[in-house]
Amino acid sequence: MSVTIAVPSKGRMKDDATDVFARAGLTIAPVGNDRSYRGIIADMPDVEVAYLSASEIARELGNGGVDLGITGEDLVREDLSAADEKVEICARLGFGNADVVVAVPEVWLDVDTMADLGDVASHFRSRHGRRLRIATKYWRLTQQFFSAQHGIQVYRIVESLGATEGAPASGQADIIVDITSTGSTLKANHLKILSDGVILKSEACLVRAKSDRRSAADEAIMAKIADRVRGLSAA
Amino acid sequence: MTLKLPVFADDILSLFAGRSTQTVDIPVIQPADPFLDMAGEDLRRRIFLTESETGQSLCLRPEFTIPVCLRHIELASGTPQRYAYLGQVFRQRRDGGNEFFQAGIEDLGNADIAAADAAAIRDAGDTLSMLLPDAELQTTLGDQAVFEAVVAALGLPDGWQTRLIRAFGDQDQLDALLAGLSQPPGDVPGLDNEAAALLNAGDETGLASLIDRRMDATGYLSNASRTPAEIADRLIQKARFSSAHLDAKALDVLKTFLALNAPLADAPDALAAFARIAGLDIGAALDGFGERVAALDGTGFDTGSARYRAAFGRPLDYYTGLVFEISAQGAVLAGGGRFDRLLTLLGAKTAIPAVGFSLWLDRIALVRARSEGDAAQ
Repeated sequence: MSVTIAVPSKGRMKDDATDVFARAGLTIAPVGNDRSYRGIIADMPDVEVAYLSASEIARELGNGGVDLGITGEDLVREDLSAADEKVEICARLGFGNADVVVAVPEVWLDVDTMADLGDVASHFRSRHGRRLRIATKYWRLTQQFFSAQHGIQVYRIVESLGATEGAPASGQADIIVDITSTGSTLKANHLKILSDGVILKSEACLVRAKSDRRSAADEAIMAKIADRVRGLSAA
Repeated sequence: MTLKLPVFADDILSLFAGRSTQTVDIPVIQPADPFLDMAGEDLRRRIFLTESETGQSLCLRPEFTIPVCLRHIELASGTPQRYAYLGQVFRQRRDGGNEFFQAGIEDLGNADIAAADAAAIRDAGDTLSMLLPDAELQTTLGDQAVFEAVVAALGLPDGWQTRLIRAFGDQDQLDALLAGLSQPPGDVPGLDNEAAALLNAGDETGLASLIDRRMDATGYLSNASRTPAEIADRLIQKARFSSAHLDAKALDVLKTFLALNAPLADAPDALAAFARIAGLDIGAALDGFGERVAALDGTGFDTGSARYRAAFGRPLDYYTGLVFEISAQGAVLAGGGRFDRLLTLLGAKTAIPAVGFSLWLDRIALVRARSEGDAAQ
């Protein structure tokens, strides 16, 4: 029996995650060379570390491929259906902060709230012969927020895998749903966040995959790791 | 497991055949865009989507109304027409199977609104009575046109009317809006000084040219999305409706209306009494409502089993007048309504009035199995 922890494989997320674990007294050492995709934790022989991309971590948590993982809450909620049934957020880690937001062109002076946007969407087709278009890579979050929370049904999603903030100016879409940490990219592209348009305040989290087939010993190891990391974020 | 045609399918088709219909065949694989355009992105999670080799979005037929209407437009078959269908539909559902049978009638182009509405309710009711002779059927009716008339007669500005009408049929949205309407009015937030000054002066042309200049300066195309004139126009309207709120009396009127729930036979009188007490001029909508009840009576439909519920509606923008459903043992077995806006939305050159209904054959089979089980005991 063993426990697999997934940690982001590159960039700031990797450094910050390694740092949080180190401060919690869990030192991760790569197996073999520095660029290896496997690691171990000193004094915890039953724990394996797997370096994966942040969105693969969300997916693997959802299908039980890993037991614990560090990834953004936005990815967990976007990539998993019924996320709360499949995973549990053990600790919020205070880095990787980013908000998933609804942003519209600054020149839409009349649009400040989701209710305004609902009005615009409902008239869009009769004025323009097509539905309001939203560029995003967050299909699920957008649908939940627009349809379930705000009762806005009539819009179309245009998939955007990068440079989403440029879509309104270039005419590919009318508005966007995207992630922002400081808002400066949105500002540079003359977009504004709606006053009630924050869909999710995301940050990196330690996430546990729910499973009823895990051994008690493994659960105990996972609880111990979660406790240590939680102790850190409480301090 | 292959899904078997319900044993009562032929009974339904022969009943439909006696109701001046022609049966249509609709391909199982359909272009997905019309469904997503009409019902919204929320449908995407609930249909089976795939892509053709050339990148076209396709789906397994999730319902019949839209393809029947598209076929009608394409074949330019002329109106009026009554189309009947029976076949499998495919939807992702948490409860129940992902594929099940539906049957129904779409009545396109009949200018006699009351008669066409009555025929749709009667045909749905007759089919269910034939299939479930012992079941106690309950029919619930709503009317989008009456609701729209009440909202308009209350003197709300257009923006609020649109919001309320859009929320019709969705109790949570409606409650949230009613709560908002009882708040004292506020300013239009989020405006810079230059725009606010133009707005206060009511200068729509000035606002439009300000927006046009800003689009130009920030590299936005002024014709790709909302235009400067459109934004300025709505800003002026918004300033008007942000200063609107319902006084306590008007809010009470709206709540009293939404709480109306009466046997259908009494509903015309109940609505007339409501309008008189509230002092609302909604005569035209009430006439339409009364004509429908009379027409339904004339068809021999048992109106004793039907109720009118004022708050019953569907939050989709192509429904216009009648909405109804028929249930037994707590399950909705038939749903229908009038969708006069749908055909033009789908590309018809002229307005075509339309009403229809759909039967849930899997649920009907369940109720039948239950009553056969009871009979066997």
